[in-house]
Amino acid sequence: MRLVRAALALGVMGLLSQPARASDDDARAWLERMSEALATRNYVGLFTHTTGRQSETMRIVHRVGRNGSTERLVSLDGSGREIVRTLSEVHVYLPDRGVVLVEPRTDQGSLSKALPAPGPQFDALYEMRISDGNKLLGRKVRVLDIRPRDAQRYGYRLWLDEETAMPLRTVVADGRGRPIELINFTQLDMPRKIDSKEIEAAVDAAGFRWVRSARPPPEPRPMMAGWRPTRLPPGFRLVASRTQVIPGVALPVQHLIFSDGFASISVFIEPGSPSGPAPSQASSVGSAHAFSTLVGGHVVTAVGEVPLETVRDVATSVVPVQIPQPPPGVSR
Amino acid sequence: MTDRIREQMSALLDGELPGDEMGLLVRRLERDEQLRRAFGNYVLAGEALRSPSGPLASARFAAKVSAAIDAGTVEVPQVRPARPAPVRWARPAIATAVAASAAVVAVLLVKPAMQETAVVAGGAVQQAQRALASLPIITESSPTPAHSQRLAGYLMAHSQFAGAIGRRNVWSSVLASDPGITRASYEFAETP
Amino acid sequence: MQTQEPRDAEPRPASGVEQSDLELVRRAQRGERGAFDLLVLRYQHKVVKLVARLLRDPTEAEDVAQEAFVKAYRALASFRGDSAFYTWLYRIAVNTARNAMASRQRRPLDYEADLSETEQSAVASRMSHSDTPEATALSDEIHATVNRAVAELPEDLRTAIILREIEGLSYEEIAAAMDCPVGTVRSRIFRAREAIDRNLKPLLD
Repeated sequence: MRLVRAALALGVMGLLSQPARASDDDARAWLERMSEALATRNYVGLFTHTTGRQSETMRIVHRVGRNGSTERLVSLDGSGREIVRTLSEVHVYLPDRGVVLVEPRTDQGSLSKALPAPGPQFDALYEMRISDGNKLLGRKVRVLDIRPRDAQRYGYRLWLDEETAMPLRTVVADGRGRPIELINFTQLDMPRKIDSKEIEAAVDAAGFRWVRSARPPPEPRPMMAGWRPTRLPPGFRLVASRTQVIPGVALPVQHLIFSDGFASISVFIEPGSPSGPAPSQASSVGSAHAFSTLVGGHVVTAVGEVPLETVRDVATSVVPVQIPQPPPGVSR
Repeated sequence: MTDRIREQMSALLDGELPGDEMGLLVRRLERDEQLRRAFGNYVLAGEALRSPSGPLASARFAAKVSAAIDAGTVEVPQVRPARPAPVRWARPAIATAVAASAAVVAVLLVKPAMQETAVVAGGAVQQAQRALASLPIITESSPTPAHSQRLAGYLMAHSQFAGAIGRRNVWSSVLASDPGITRASYEFAETP
Repeated sequence: MQTQEPRDAEPRPASGVEQSDLELVRRAQRGERGAFDLLVLRYQHKVVKLVARLLRDPTEAEDVAQEAFVKAYRALASFRGDSAFYTWLYRIAVNTARNAMASRQRRPLDYEADLSETEQSAVASRMSHSDTPEATALSDEIHATVNRAVAELPEDLRTAIILREIEGLSYEEIAAAMDCPVGTVRSRIFRAREAIDRNLKPLLD
């Protein structure tokens, strides 16, 4: 954990940063600086999240303590929805439904290796460029472009604060380069200390239905052990496989995580007959997509920040591994 | 007697009615449409006095809001789309528990080309998958609230492995919209 | 760094109203629908006015205002009384209007544009709006009817209602100004409203 000297006034983005380890023109270095900043810094901000149909204002608080990071994201536009990530759990408060979804936190320990990190093949998948940009929030910024080399994943344009590498604005573009999502900070502070009260939910959840995952079983169920997609966009590799319990789903679910170093796709295999989705159903949630389909009595769902066609192709290619298949990652 | 209730209503409008007198009044108002109309006119009087012109809510406005809450639907005003309008799905009102409904209001996007029985031989599976994957996505679907909740669970489980930017984007989307509202294609048409 | 605050152009209600709103919200949260209906009735015109100011096409103002109230109802559990109820409702209405505008406009995202809130609402308010002829005519008539009815009131009733609705004074303050008991103030205001109601009935039924 690197020490950072604080500026004179709290709440001013004047924290002195470490000098860049690589040349400033190295786009990859900027990406790493950004990831590091998001993971290791305290920050509090307001941003607008805009997709084609709507725009919402959110408040984010990210607090880094001795035992790990905690986070809170609140919708400010009246729904009262918020997400709180404590040290051990993630709570999704949905006041308009009277429901709180609870999941165990899984990004720590050995599973932190599953977080995306650009590997040696990254340049084959994405073209990266760093350039100067107009000021944002009165700060000098560099513009980091991450353009995919195929249409099966998204591109990103990130306006990074020159001093701290925090992304002040992010535009997500689809495989054809059309912008589909915007996250734009209208206020951002990086205080030295954040009161732990700032991570507490404001919702009075008394009387809400708490939907929790049960404790996962010690062993993955043998009959689920062998599900794999046979079609993945180039560069996606399996980075983790686990048994997950999803709030509201009775039986444990197999969760496979694939990543190309930047984007991630999850494949969930749920045993038994479906009580929820009709067979073959697509969903859009912001720029993320999900596609469900029935395979051999199981509900297979692919989810990711990738175009709809990509999750559809992945989901519809999942098979139980009894059938000899080429390994995943082979391009179409 | 009526006069007394109406005078209480007038005091309530001014914030000058003691809390313990409110219960009876609220219950009377729930049942009595004339009383509600009168309250509406008291409010209207103040608005009209304060500003000489400008838009006002119509006489049926409050009744329409009440009906919309009862129906559990949200009418989103939109320009009439060139495509057929999406099927609207019902959300339970705030006081009702979220229940998985047996009647799924859904339009199937793509019919699966294969049976959901035991695993079939490799060639047939691949053939079926190719057929499935080549079908276009044509309309929007309307999942039940239980499906949306499951989808939210999947999204959250996925988001923990998505990296900071992906996680923040997914979380924002979960907070901003109801997971499960689908669209067949993006709304944006022009490149910058 | 910019701080974005809602442009609260409406005057803050007297504290008595805020408290009575809170009590109504509490009742609504416990399931008393009548309490929420009262809140709708109380703020319907304010919200319609606000939304009409923000939308480019104010004929949709009523639909969008309706949606805002429904959203507020669904989100009631999250309202804790840290702010006035109307402040909270105001924010929901602004957001609902912005979303309605965005869904209509299908504005493409512009990399270089500054999409800050102030700019959006500034643009919206610069646009002049025109109601439908029918709505304008009715609204004008309502205003004229109310003002005429008030002008024809006996002086003590007229003074009482004007001090309350235009000056925003509490009953106690009005009692001091008119040198009479609070109960008399309450009765005068009530009778003034009844007279206005009698004049409005034929217009609105």
